[in-house]
Amino acid sequence: MRLDIDTCLKKASVCSPWLFRINAGSCNGCDVELATTALIPRYDVERLGCHYTGSPRQADIVLVTGPVTIKMRDYVLRVWNEIPEPKVTVAVGICPISGGVFRDSYAIAGPLSRLVPVDVNVPGCPPRPQAIMEGVVLAKQIWMKKLGILEG
Amino acid sequence: MSSFLKILLKNVLGGPSTDPFPFGPTFEPKRLRGRVVVDPDKCMGCGMCRNSCVAGAIDITKDAESKGWTITVWQDSCCLCASCRTYCPMKAIEIVPDWHSAHFEEDKYSRIEQHTIEYQPCAVCGKPVRVLSLAKAQELYRNDPDVDPELVRHMCRSCRQIKDAEAHVEILEAIPRKAPKQDAAAPEAEAKA
Repeated sequence: MRLDIDTCLKKASVCSPWLFRINAGSCNGCDVELATTALIPRYDVERLGCHYTGSPRQADIVLVTGPVTIKMRDYVLRVWNEIPEPKVTVAVGICPISGGVFRDSYAIAGPLSRLVPVDVNVPGCPPRPQAIMEGVVLAKQIWMKKLGILEG
Repeated sequence: MSSFLKILLKNVLGGPSTDPFPFGPTFEPKRLRGRVVVDPDKCMGCGMCRNSCVAGAIDITKDAESKGWTITVWQDSCCLCASCRTYCPMKAIEIVPDWHSAHFEEDKYSRIEQHTIEYQPCAVCGKPVRVLSLAKAQELYRNDPDVDPELVRHMCRSCRQIKDAEAHVEILEAIPRKAPKQDAAAPEAEAKA
């Protein structure tokens, strides 16, 4: 591998994909689990180098919760488009994956895969923190493949 | 103050409280709801699970040639409310604590619990019939030592009724009945009553 600035930056950044949360009309159950994953020392997601960021422009992995409601659809797409490539989209909970209990409702524009390409799904209502950690590990693998660091 | 010191001492001596997952094993509560599992031996295809499923994750499709049915649970739509487990009259549905649910997008529609259950011919008349599970048959006929659960679970409903009537013919004949018309049996029945 050539040793230029791009490669060095890529290699240096593998350790720390930053996470960004989008609440697309969630009931907050999955958001609480996401906060649990990050904020309390018992399930410390920062051991994976992940860190929650407040700005979509700094994010690498985006975690979407909630069935994308009609009202939230435009905002979700706007924020999602602000995240720089390469990005990895993780659907957390059954709502963004399949619509869950809200499927076929008049107020739902989702599931999420209808609007944006999704890479990893973490089903559950809500998923337990360890399952979210597993999803973040899978997302990190995809992210490293997209950066060209991991073969596959 | 002393309670604070107690907690401090406990934390200092107890080691790290961080769960080692994903670098090591994690704990698993016994009653954790992780995944729905259907027991194909017990399911009778009544559809109570489909009716009670709030997320519409369960589907029961009858075979077009009425050879059986297919029960499908889509794990990515199941909200693990356990309504199906509560309302299943045969206790065929259980929820196992297998929480490893994270998967890639291409596996989205393959994470299903699917069983095709076929009818079998009745042991007496040969009509297609759903065979009862042996455990359920033993439970139902536990007070009836004359009935063979292995045979009776392979029989259709009308054959079971006929067999039951044959077994209890003496008792049935002893019961006084009202005669539908005025005939010779009527005065006897009235006299008995």
